Amino acid sequence: MLMQLTLGGFAQGAIYALIALSLTVVYRSTTVVNFGHGDFVMAGAFLSYVLVVLAGIAFLPAAALAMIAMFVLGVLFSKGLIRPIRGGPHIGLALMCISAGYVLRGIARMVWGREVLPMPAVFDMEPIFLGDLVITGDAVFIIGTVLVLLILFFGVLALTDLGKMVQAVYQSPRGARLIGLNVERFNDFSWGIGAALGALGGILVAPVSLLHPDLGASFLIKGFAAMTLGGFGSLGGAVLGGILLGLAEQYAGAYLDSALIEITAYVVIVLVLFIRPQGLFGRKAVVKV
Amino acid sequence: MPSARQRQLRTLLFWAVPALLLLLPLATNAYTQFIVNGMLISVLVTLGFTLVIGNLGQLAFANTAFFGIGAYASAILSAKLGLPWIVTIPLAGVLGALGGFLASSAALRGIRSYYLAIITLAFGELMRWAYLHSKPLTGGTDGLPLPREAMFGISLSDDTLKFYIFLAVTVLLVKATLNLMRSRFGRAVMAVRENEIATASLAIPTARVILVSFIWSGFVVGCAGALFARHVGHVFPESFGMLHLIASFAMVLVGGLGSVLGAVLGAVLLTALPEYLRAFPGMEELFFGLIVAAVLVAMPMGLASLLRRLSPIFVERYYREES
Repeated sequence: MLMQLTLGGFAQGAIYALIALSLTVVYRSTTVVNFGHGDFVMAGAFLSYVLVVLAGIAFLPAAALAMIAMFVLGVLFSKGLIRPIRGGPHIGLALMCISAGYVLRGIARMVWGREVLPMPAVFDMEPIFLGDLVITGDAVFIIGTVLVLLILFFGVLALTDLGKMVQAVYQSPRGARLIGLNVERFNDFSWGIGAALGALGGILVAPVSLLHPDLGASFLIKGFAAMTLGGFGSLGGAVLGGILLGLAEQYAGAYLDSALIEITAYVVIVLVLFIRPQGLFGRKAVVKV
Repeated sequence: MPSARQRQLRTLLFWAVPALLLLLPLATNAYTQFIVNGMLISVLVTLGFTLVIGNLGQLAFANTAFFGIGAYASAILSAKLGLPWIVTIPLAGVLGALGGFLASSAALRGIRSYYLAIITLAFGELMRWAYLHSKPLTGGTDGLPLPREAMFGISLSDDTLKFYIFLAVTVLLVKATLNLMRSRFGRAVMAVRENEIATASLAIPTARVILVSFIWSGFVVGCAGALFARHVGHVFPESFGMLHLIASFAMVLVGGLGSVLGAVLGAVLLTALPEYLRAFPGMEELFFGLIVAAVLVAMPMGLASLLRRLSPIFVERYYREES
């Protein structure tokens, strides 16, 4: 029982980690919190559905295509809508993200209306039985993909020149500009990466859940909860927060009440911000005046 | 800054609008009257919202939650406790204010900007969860109908009677908010938006200013919720979802952030339009999303900024002009 819940928690948590990480990537480089990110996740899931079910492309190339499309969308969003209002009040940037999210959701609903779409299973793998533990192909696939991606992401960040530049921009955009880095282009790139990673989260949940235009909202909250728990703005914290949130949901749902699964994330946000606003690894979140 | 004479003219204009509106039911049919009533509710919702995101400058998502709290409070108090609806309006306001306090109480812990926004987002979603899961009280997904009721011998399902009540509440709360924003407190609110540290150095308790702004916002929007409950006669959880939120954002922005006049304009303009889009799923979201994006790029201070340029009568005091 406990092992089964833990496995389920890791699978869910891996997705939350991915979404929290994609939010953090954008936040760290541009200081914009993408309040429309849930709908980018939803758009990724729907794009993969279109490519797999309607266009008949195999899952892996379809997933890659959907991520590339979302990357382009993220870059265009940054260039076309975020850049022109960068000088304005911060609230405008958040509102721009929200409205972009609603536009994506509106488009999805125009096409699909109230339909709830099932996505075909990706791997028809026989579940593995280990004693009481049932390991499904989906769980292996989700955890495996996220693990590979995380190793790749943090590897690039820590070991390559590109990673060094990223860290430079994170530390001080102004300093990075002084040493000749094109911070504007880097920000566009971050939006693209954020959108693509978020879309991957959607692509991964698509086969294990039903698709509907509103699925983004709950993922946005989970992403925020993971970020808050791990420490807002910390890349590693986002990942750890996501995993912990996934586990907490499973345990709370099984041992306390299944209705609690839906609100675990909210409770986590409220508790963390009241008790330890900086989260596990974050910098100080509290304003001292 | 308007001259003394212009200020007199402005006062005259302010009272002329509701005075003329008293005659409006002569010119409407049942459907248009219903729409107009909806506009008055939107005015209050937008007013409460613009106070927090415009004047105080804190991104907040709890507005829809206050609206829902007010509507459910009104419905529960009249359906379960048998209170006359008119009495539930201030009570709904008080409960909305309590919601405002809860949603913003993290400000006392030093939580600001994005963190506060996320807490208010969580608060709103928690409330929606609560409507759905406290079935004995709220009726869950079936919603909660308001009992039939009459005032002065006229049924409260009559849209004309409702119009006069709504108008009275709206005018009262708009005037109260205008006065509040002109007071020492109102200046403190805008000072917090401009620079919280500088404000605190003037010995203004900034966390308390944030809290009180949310509480007043909750009160106004809670009252609007009570009106809404009677307006539609049946309270459903879906009325307080994401669509209502983006509609409120759009109304605030189209009218102009932090402007009371703008709140009225935005609400009046954007209440009727979506009625025609409702038949097409997704169109409302697309419409509001595009409007918000367009306003942000082309006219960040909304229609109120155009009016301000037209005549100093429309300048609301102590509002920073766009550069």
